Amino acid sequence: MPRPSVTGILICFFVLTAAPPTRAADADYPLSVDVTNPAALQEATRILAEELKLASRPQAYVIVDLIDRAVLIKGRGVELHRFSIEHWSAGQLADASTTFRLQTRPPVTRRKIEPAAGGEQPPISLDDMPTDFTLQFSPPFSLIVHPSASDDIGRWLRSKGREWWMWLKVWAMTLATGRGPLPQPWLHLTVTSDHAQSLAWTVTEGMAFLIRRPPPSP
Amino acid sequence: MPRIVASLCLGLIGLVLLTLAQSSSLTVTDASIPAVIPDPATLHALQTRYRSLSKQLNHLMPSQPYIVVDTARNHLYIKRRDHVMLDALASTGSGTILDKPGEAKGQWVFDTPRGEFTVQSKLINPVWVKPDWAFVEEGLAIPKSYTDRIEPGVLGEYALGFGKGFFIHGTLYTRLLGKNVTHGCIRLNDDDLKSVYRLAKVGTPIMIF
Repeated sequence: MPRPSVTGILICFFVLTAAPPTRAADADYPLSVDVTNPAALQEATRILAEELKLASRPQAYVIVDLIDRAVLIKGRGVELHRFSIEHWSAGQLADASTTFRLQTRPPVTRRKIEPAAGGEQPPISLDDMPTDFTLQFSPPFSLIVHPSASDDIGRWLRSKGREWWMWLKVWAMTLATGRGPLPQPWLHLTVTSDHAQSLAWTVTEGMAFLIRRPPPSP
Repeated sequence: MPRIVASLCLGLIGLVLLTLAQSSSLTVTDASIPAVIPDPATLHALQTRYRSLSKQLNHLMPSQPYIVVDTARNHLYIKRRDHVMLDALASTGSGTILDKPGEAKGQWVFDTPRGEFTVQSKLINPVWVKPDWAFVEEGLAIPKSYTDRIEPGVLGEYALGFGKGFFIHGTLYTRLLGKNVTHGCIRLNDDDLKSVYRLAKVGTPIMIF
């Protein structure tokens, strides 16, 4: 059996190491990114640079990845939890290139313990969290979360109604004044009811959010 | 006449919806990031920077086992990198509130704290030193003597403290595991508690979300 020559081994080594990856997501490339696409790479690099700042502190943060259609809750660079985005739409995202800090978390009614009342006090659970809510950030950015139609058609219709009502108001204002509302980035996410409640549960005031945006269409 | 009005209204609504759909689709197109002109040198620089940042991020990840607590689903994990070493059903904070006696606006909020902590202490056969709220909750007077606060045998065989009086400990109420029922501590069953005690050291990171 012929032994492989040193030259052959070296050629194999160089071919293997020199071949550029086109799409990668491993230790060197934690995000799934086309490394031959400058726009995608620039965005991924921006996210990494921002994440590096966040991960150097003891805090949890959220990455809304519109390319992989996922919401990631992370801490110290470690993925703590992830869920998928069913659908999204957005506006002014070109301006969403910074870290956004959540102003207030969705409201939840806390139950008050009656001393010596006897029996178990009902706790708060995921079911108490809203499925349809808007998160406001600083600098200005709105993240509107809706449940998907397949989960609960009634909730979905209500949320769509609210969405259309918002559009109607904007449209009417634009017609009346000739000027639209101040441009600020916004993002609509449609997720399952469970995931919406999970996000509402997880977020805390001041929590950092990063938005990974898709590259421009060719 | 009413039919004509209704038709006109429907037509108007249709027009509004069509306009909205158009404006919606227009706004979606500006969702992307600004275009970048492809340039081999820029691309190479970007790839190099991306790899460098990835490595830096990788260095920030805990190299030793760490604890993750999911308060929404009431699970505690011990992980090493992405490998799950332990997946335990837990109980975490109930989120309920209790008024402090004698204070107009004072309240206790029974949340498990969120964020990053470290194991600060490891105890064997811990005893519970009942805080004020435990007496108030039961409608009892707050004792003046320290010894009246001590209650052994309710925290299990081990307890791991992570600051401000919060512990990972055992429970007598194993049927409530998987629910948000605690006053902020994290409860586990005996076997999982033993594993956590064995795997975690003082200084082990605890990430709670």
